[in-house]
Amino acid sequence: MTMHNKESSPIKIILFLCNWGAHAAYQTLQDEQRPIPDEVHMVRIPCTGRIDRALLLKAFSMGGDGVALVGCDPGTCRYGTGTATAQRNTKDTGMILDLLGLGSDRLRFASFLPDESEKLLLFLETFLHDLQQRGKTSIQPAVGAQPVTNIPMNAGPELQQLIAAHDIYACQDCGKCSSACPLALIGKPFSARGIATAAIAGNLNDESVKENVWSCLTCGLCYERCPSAVNFPKFIKELRHLYKQNNKLGDETHGGFLHALMRSMASPELTPNRWQDIPQELQVDQKSNILFYGGCAPYYDIFFNKHLDVHTEKILFDAIRLLNFFDVHPRLLKDERCCGHDLLWSGDKECFLQIARLNADRLNSLGIDTMITSCPECYMTFNTTYPAHGLALNFEVIHLYEFLEKEIDRSAVSFKPLAKNITFQDSCRLTRLEDKPELPRQLLDRLSPESFQEMQESGRAAVCCGNSAWTGCDSYSKAMQVKRLEQAQDTGADLLVTACPKCQIHLKCAMEDPLRLNKLSIDMQDLTSVIAQSISWK
Amino acid sequence: MTDKEKNTIAQTEIIVTGFGGQGIILAGKILGMAASLGDHKESTLVQAYGPESRGGACNAQVIISNTPIHYPYVQYPDILIAMSQAGYDKFAGQITEDSILLIDQDLVPTVDAPCPAYAISSTRMAEKLGNKMMANIIMVGFTTAITQLVSTSSAEDMIAKSVPKGTEQKNIAAFTKGYDYGLSTLKGRERKAAGQTGAIV
Ligand code: SF4
Ligand code: SF4
Ligand code: SF4
Repeated sequence: MTMHNKESSPIKIILFLCNWGAHAAYQTLQDEQRPIPDEVHMVRIPCTGRIDRALLLKAFSMGGDGVALVGCDPGTCRYGTGTATAQRNTKDTGMILDLLGLGSDRLRFASFLPDESEKLLLFLETFLHDLQQRGKTSIQPAVGAQPVTNIPMNAGPELQQLIAAHDIYACQDCGKCSSACPLALIGKPFSARGIATAAIAGNLNDESVKENVWSCLTCGLCYERCPSAVNFPKFIKELRHLYKQNNKLGDETHGGFLHALMRSMASPELTPNRWQDIPQELQVDQKSNILFYGGCAPYYDIFFNKHLDVHTEKILFDAIRLLNFFDVHPRLLKDERCCGHDLLWSGDKECFLQIARLNADRLNSLGIDTMITSCPECYMTFNTTYPAHGLALNFEVIHLYEFLEKEIDRSAVSFKPLAKNITFQDSCRLTRLEDKPELPRQLLDRLSPESFQEMQESGRAAVCCGNSAWTGCDSYSKAMQVKRLEQAQDTGADLLVTACPKCQIHLKCAMEDPLRLNKLSIDMQDLTSVIAQSISWK
Repeated sequence: MTDKEKNTIAQTEIIVTGFGGQGIILAGKILGMAASLGDHKESTLVQAYGPESRGGACNAQVIISNTPIHYPYVQYPDILIAMSQAGYDKFAGQITEDSILLIDQDLVPTVDAPCPAYAISSTRMAEKLGNKMMANIIMVGFTTAITQLVSTSSAEDMIAKSVPKGTEQKNIAAFTKGYDYGLSTLKGRERKAAGQTGAIV
């Protein structure tokens, strides 16, 4: 889209207006026929506190260039805490908008008393004026799945092709998958085989099947055990796409905020603004032929700051510290986008492909020879998924652990004693889907903790952290996480070492269970951070 | 390296010591031949034979010089490479402040040297590379990195010529392993001296 287009299509302001005080002021403007700008599209709401962050973001992804959340002064909220909630949501979403390169000033909170109509008008005019200076946002409405409603999904050729491509007929009905599946084991009425049978029998519209398709963790444990090598996670991934194509909604967690965020990154014109808060002492070199790819950790930290005290961006900084330790001053991409993993694995293949193409083009244009990432999902997605979708990359993708193992192995370094008893949570992507259980373990073995004890199920048999791609989180997921945390406790560990930022988020979430707080709680640290803290020159 | 050490480079006297079967003599031979055949210097080698070559203490004395060498025995080594505790103990008294000591840290656990000492787990590394017998080659690599005694290309050529046919690649890899570790050791010392011990500063 050119600048010219931007100017010619009008700015759109979405005004979420609280029903109470502020609405009275707005009504006065209407009654007195004051010139409320045409660009303002008012949505009357019961309370500003009810507009959550997912909705705020959605207003942008649906075409808003600015969003105003207008309500009551703190203390005058009819429901008590609405204003405070709205202010916090505005702040968080603003930080996300900054990361996306859109700018937090496109989202404003304001409060007006019923008799402050002129002040409200001035606020709207100023907002419009500012937005006119800034221009329209670069988010384009998400492409989304193209509905194929004329083809009934149950008998359609798409489904037949899926069944054939994933060898579903090879299933011997042995039940090994269910006896390995952590969801089935925790008691959820869920069966991988059941979904497979339903697909073959054409029962995909059954309520239980519909629900189960979104619950699968795509963790790969079943595939690990299946004697017929039925790649169930991959089948589920494609099945979800089929559901989305048929307008069957997914079961996205957190009001779909994270998916909306990731979808917005499929807009070609969007220029994210990452790495603004990188600690000063870290050394980067924009001419380096080694790129460090961070992934979505900073978005998560903002989104989860209210409930979970997670600091996953620190993992990225520690990764760069380790690169620096070994004299690598990596290049960082200020306009780094999401890799698209969660979109693909939640059935939004169109958006994934759009992001993937943008990423492949951008990355291939850099002239780098290596990309290093510490995120197992980014790693798998760039290393395996892009090429599998026909997107070749002209550089090598390596996981930080591979880099570290190689460097440590040839260097005169040692590890300071770690006064902790540790255990380790595998990443399903790295350990099973990429088949590299040894990567973190080589490094773990180099550490000098008080003790290192694997959990009852570890390595290829490890149970996952309870959620994947932000879909289908329910009480069974929680039960599963509780079981996993109990396994961690059973090792006697006081530090749970993780390999994926999301494991920390999901497991931390389970630790918040108020009834079991003390029993489940355990310190967590990413392996990257543990290494960064303890490595030293001999 | 101190200035003094640089000045003595004109003639460098080396003792390689360990026990029979470790390839101590071969290590000395590779260093000496790399210097003379590869780097076009003068060199001599004196090897201790006898019962020593069957598992007891064993040593090679090497002198490398820019000018002809008149006396091939080493009294005060500029470089002592020790791959056994007994070997180290035997020559410990001959080390001076200006010497450089290189040890296999697992085989020489106790040292008390007046000079700079550099340690490597050459035997363990060799085991990891698939053959314990390559510890000597790892040591040659380590020595080359720390002391710049011979050029890497000469050392590699000489290794390729001295080891059993078919094992050249593996031995060159062992040399590189020791060499990289040596460079890393020097870098680590530099960093530490600059106060940068770990990754988090
Ligand atoms: S393990 Fe494989 S073969 Fe056995 S029931 Fe499950 S999908 Fe079928
Ligand atoms: S991928 Fe994991 S959650 Fe899904 S069916 Fe297989 S074992 Fe169960
Ligand atoms: S485990 Fe918690 S953080 Fe993770 S998806 Fe479920 S609710 Fe969200």
